[in-house]
Amino acid sequence: MATHSEITDSLKVFKDNYNSNERLKIMNRDWDRVVVIKATDIESLHTLTVMDGVVSLKEGAVENPDLTVISDSETLADIFYGDITPTEPYNNGTLRIMGQEDDIIRLDFISLMIWGE
Amino acid sequence: MKKVVSVSLGSSRRDHKVRVELLGEQFEISRMGTDGDFNRALEVLRELDGKVDAIGLGGIDVYLFVRQKRYAIHDGLKLMEAVKVTPVVDGSGLKNTLEREVVRILTENTGLLRKGMKVLMVSSLDRFGMAEALYDMGCDMTYGDLIFTMGMPYPVKTVAELEDIANRTLPELVKMPFHMLYPTGKKQESQDEAKVQKFANYYYEAEVIAGDFHLIRRFMPAGMNGQTILTNTTTREDIEFLREKGAGTLVTTTPEYEGRSFGTNVIEAAMVAILGKPLEQIAAEDYLELLRRLNFQPRILRLT
Repeated sequence: MATHSEITDSLKVFKDNYNSNERLKIMNRDWDRVVVIKATDIESLHTLTVMDGVVSLKEGAVENPDLTVISDSETLADIFYGDITPTEPYNNGTLRIMGQEDDIIRLDFISLMIWGE
Repeated sequence: MKKVVSVSLGSSRRDHKVRVELLGEQFEISRMGTDGDFNRALEVLRELDGKVDAIGLGGIDVYLFVRQKRYAIHDGLKLMEAVKVTPVVDGSGLKNTLEREVVRILTENTGLLRKGMKVLMVSSLDRFGMAEALYDMGCDMTYGDLIFTMGMPYPVKTVAELEDIANRTLPELVKMPFHMLYPTGKKQESQDEAKVQKFANYYYEAEVIAGDFHLIRRFMPAGMNGQTILTNTTTREDIEFLREKGAGTLVTTTPEYEGRSFGTNVIEAAMVAILGKPLEQIAAEDYLELLRRLNFQPRILRLT
């Protein structure tokens, strides 16, 4: 089990890697989305916001996000640290993502562009 | 008579059966669409196994080739592995050979492809051979995979960047459910109106639009101005659709039988039946040699 602060740290790493990738910022310049990240086994909520291609992070949730990413704390920390890709936990049901199919694929793609080969 | 069946995840509305003679041998070639029903496709494949000479898998890619790398789409592999006896192919082996050859023929023998021409490939990772051949002959390329699959307004302009993105993402994306990556079943009969409007300029600005026909169709706006469409699987209805939209010329890479051009999976399956060799012993040169013996030429149809 990961702690809330470990999830926060993993999301900071994800955000920093994203924001230092100029290509990703161009790719997502018109993809304004609010993503809530929720752990199932501990009290932990975060909100990632993509606005004009730039990602920001804050603790806590907002109402009516475009995407909600739900999993156990360990899986969330692993995904956002880049230790595992989201595909396998998504396919086996450990990771649930609520939102439009195009947005789900986009989030997967962003993660792969950061951590991929 | 040899029997070749294409089992497709696409719409059953496109089903058909023809008899053709290839190198003096009679072939019955048929297509069975399963309307996006994956389990139905598995059933049909198991029923056909051992009863026909070769099977093509349509409406789904199994292998994506990016230069020397090969990525296997997991859902496609599941279908392929359902067949134990009959040779089964997805068209990717032939596509890589045939479509490079078509680019060469169109460049050398027609005015339809010229250096500097603006070419939009609506999807290119499913036909890297064509993507690379067009780039190498000097076309001004826009690879639209991210635009049309992801909704991302990011035209990839070089093969090197296409390869980089593919190598980062395909090892994982191939594990996703196929319907999330490509329209299957009834989705193939409709257009994605939001993307048609949002990305129409990519179509208008191109002189040639190339790639998978279902994707070309799904995102094509009205008011095209005589562009050449370079694709493979089309029916009479598709030709009418292209005329209505204002396309100028249709080039299909596979031959026409009774008013429609077949998918590369069908042609590859027929070639496998002709060659009579185990799949693992068939090389690109075998396909190339057979293409020459069969005198396969791209079909060029003026639409205006």
